[in-house]
Amino acid sequence: MRRLAITPLLLLGIVTIAFIVARLIPADPVAALVGERQLNNDAVVAAAKARWGLDGGIPEQYFTYLGNLVTGDLGTSFRTKQSVASDLWERLPATAELALGAMVVGGAGGIALGITAARHQNRPVDHVSRLVALVGSSLPVFWLGLIMLYVLYARLGWFPGPGRLPSRTDAPPHLTGLYTIDALADGDFGLAWRCLRQLMLPAFVLGWSLMGIVSRLVRAAMLDELHADYVRTARAKGLGEGVVMRSHVLRNALTPVITIMGLSLGVLLTSAVLTETVFSWNGIGSYAVEATKRLDYPAINGVCIIGGVIFLLSSLFADVLYAAVDPKIRYT
Amino acid sequence: MGGSQNRRTGHGRRRWIAAGAALALVAASCGDGENDADPTSGVTQPGGDTTPEATTGGTPGATTPGATTPATEGGDDGGDARDLIIARDMDLTTLDPQRVYCDTCQIYMTAIYETLIGVDPGDITKLVPRLAETYEANADNTEFTFTLKPDATFADGSPVTSADVKFSWERLAGLEGSASYLMSGFSAIETPDEQTVKVTFDAPNSAFMNIVSAPYMGIVNAKMAEANGATADADDSAEQWFLENSAGSGPFMLDSYAEGDQLVLARNDQYWGDPTPFPSVTLKQVKDATTQLQQLQQGDVDIAMQISFDSVGQLEGTEGVTTELVDSFNYVYLALGPGAAGGEDLSEPLVREAIKKALDYEGILDTTVAGNGKLQASPIPNGFEGSEGLPLPEQDVDGAKALLEQAGVDGLSLNATYPTINVYGVDFDTMMAKVQQDLSEIGVELELEPVEIAQWAELVESDGIPVTAVYFAPDHIDASQYVQYFGLIEGSSWLGRSGAEPNPEEQQLFADVLAASGKEKTDLYNQLGQAMIDDLIILPLVNPGLVLASASDITGVRYSACCNLELGGLGIG
Repeated sequence: MRRLAITPLLLLGIVTIAFIVARLIPADPVAALVGERQLNNDAVVAAAKARWGLDGGIPEQYFTYLGNLVTGDLGTSFRTKQSVASDLWERLPATAELALGAMVVGGAGGIALGITAARHQNRPVDHVSRLVALVGSSLPVFWLGLIMLYVLYARLGWFPGPGRLPSRTDAPPHLTGLYTIDALADGDFGLAWRCLRQLMLPAFVLGWSLMGIVSRLVRAAMLDELHADYVRTARAKGLGEGVVMRSHVLRNALTPVITIMGLSLGVLLTSAVLTETVFSWNGIGSYAVEATKRLDYPAINGVCIIGGVIFLLSSLFADVLYAAVDPKIRYT
Repeated sequence: MGGSQNRRTGHGRRRWIAAGAALALVAASCGDGENDADPTSGVTQPGGDTTPEATTGGTPGATTPGATTPATEGGDDGGDARDLIIARDMDLTTLDPQRVYCDTCQIYMTAIYETLIGVDPGDITKLVPRLAETYEANADNTEFTFTLKPDATFADGSPVTSADVKFSWERLAGLEGSASYLMSGFSAIETPDEQTVKVTFDAPNSAFMNIVSAPYMGIVNAKMAEANGATADADDSAEQWFLENSAGSGPFMLDSYAEGDQLVLARNDQYWGDPTPFPSVTLKQVKDATTQLQQLQQGDVDIAMQISFDSVGQLEGTEGVTTELVDSFNYVYLALGPGAAGGEDLSEPLVREAIKKALDYEGILDTTVAGNGKLQASPIPNGFEGSEGLPLPEQDVDGAKALLEQAGVDGLSLNATYPTINVYGVDFDTMMAKVQQDLSEIGVELELEPVEIAQWAELVESDGIPVTAVYFAPDHIDASQYVQYFGLIEGSSWLGRSGAEPNPEEQQLFADVLAASGKEKTDLYNQLGQAMIDDLIILPLVNPGLVLASASDITGVRYSACCNLELGGLGIG
């Protein structure tokens, strides 16, 4: 509850830091607004500054921004000319779909890999699993993405190209904005499958790094638990190996994984910046890249705010889940 | 207990088998997605048809997102009709016809908002009628009269009138946007009748007729725009509306725009001219040149607009893909700033000339665009009026050293801050490394400092930069833009940025050329080109070619000086 109570203060801190950092960049957004060729055109520059609220001092801009923020107005993007809130709202499902896909790949894949490695400790399967994990957490996402596209799309044609939808395909009727879900909800299984195929490569690229972290964590935790007294006791009681694994070892070993998965949502969003760019995935990551390149102050602030909120919510969610999995933990 | 374990395992196996069978059934029912022609899935196959019903929610003739309902079945609308897909790294920031100013905007504007005059695709010095039936200037280039075609109509069926032209051009000027300068100096726009427009300037402006062919001079349906908040001043509130609607007379209408994703144009079925065979055109946001190439190879797109020179070889032999290298009017140049902080030594013309002579132009061309381009003599690019016959730059290292010695300069060190960008296939980091290498041969040390372009713009406009590099693409087909931007004349960007002294001769020549016509005008631009060469401020380095890559059955893919890619001119072979 205390963490919930200080959330607004944390958000204010995020907003303030984002606001200040954006303005510390030694460049003027007016150049991006009017184009470098018109920078010596005083009338054009003055009109742009007045229109976008850049003609006042920085403190004035800050307090105006905060005042608008209180009413839920995140401002209007210099670049898209639409409200930042609607920009983010439109792009959030794309990033959420990608991050969820990556979490499935990273979480399920990592747990499976970790269990396999632990159960075959120091055998070839273990070594291969650890190598897969190491490679996943070491390779740069953008490089891996480009290689995957080149090999699996351009050369072999096994997977579709970049983008959330195949070429010459319309999006399903909007329900959640997650195309796979929306297509399923619309009863269009063919489109759902195609959307899922579009998601596979970027989700795998993004999720592989998480898979490496999770698998190593699960392996280490499993090995600890496998040698614990209560496991020996359970086996001595005659419980089957599957029951011992599921009900005892895995349940305890997964507790730290939940923390990592919760916190990794933020990391996935950060990594999504590169993945979205490589895979033409029009989510918040690619929005953040373009906003930064063009010094789109309202958009930069908006992305920071939503990123901060997601970080806070995901860590809160992890805490709640932690308590649900581990009865020893109780929050007051 | 072992039995218990076995039983559990057996149940587990059965569950997995059942799950596998269920998945297989789902997969079988879904197919692989590549060849399905599911009429409910919204897939339009090549050779299929769409039915863009360009209707609006209450605004006749305007288009709204979602208003178009592309069908998925093959139709009889032309045997090969299909939705055209174009891969492009788009730089759109608005769709308001009087606020747009970018390369992709030129494509958008040309497709939707027609101009009074166009440019002959084969000859950029030749104007052709579009919305205007006739057009003429008075003897001293201060009055321009246009007569509109009586059958020209907007997408809502209403006629294009002189009032629409007046509104569009006054709004362009009044909004003080980036393209407003195209209307600078006009004193009045008169509309004696519905078909006639007369534009008057305070001073001669021989450039205006060419400027009218620029996409930014496109005509908007005034009544529709005004009904949605468009005005010619700061009270204007139509920009949001234009993000979702269009109000032009061109072969296409706006269907939908998802920033960072795609821009979809639907065919204007009421088009008064020759209709396009494409039910819709989708410009897909694809940033990476390699990805554009891959998508073209895989048939996911019909045209890839920014293929790199290195990639052309990969397309050779690709069935169904055509590539062509054509001349462009874009170029990259080095700019010297004698008035910039740290650039004092450059105030001596001999030093600037030494730098010019030290550069290995052919080598720069090879290094940056693998030889796929041309050298350029003056800031007026190859193919523009006034560019003919001017001397191309040549490397002369010994001559450069002699000039430095004559100037009494030894061991010169200069800051070279430049934008770290890649435009027209030219990587600025590579290019500036080559420039640094060339200048080191005459004892001039360049301190390279790559920065983001927004930071570069701030620096070059404030303190100036001794040596820098940037690029230029034309806004229209008149050579005046180069003098206005690069000449050492009043109001020029590079007069201020370089800190050089104004050149009265250029100022007079520019005044003369704005009053001249025909051959006299061409000759005067030629003199201006030579004068700008002699200024030794702007040193053009590379005039890169342009790779046009498309599906072999797409016709009319060509680069236009005024309009980039004219979508209305595309067809199916």
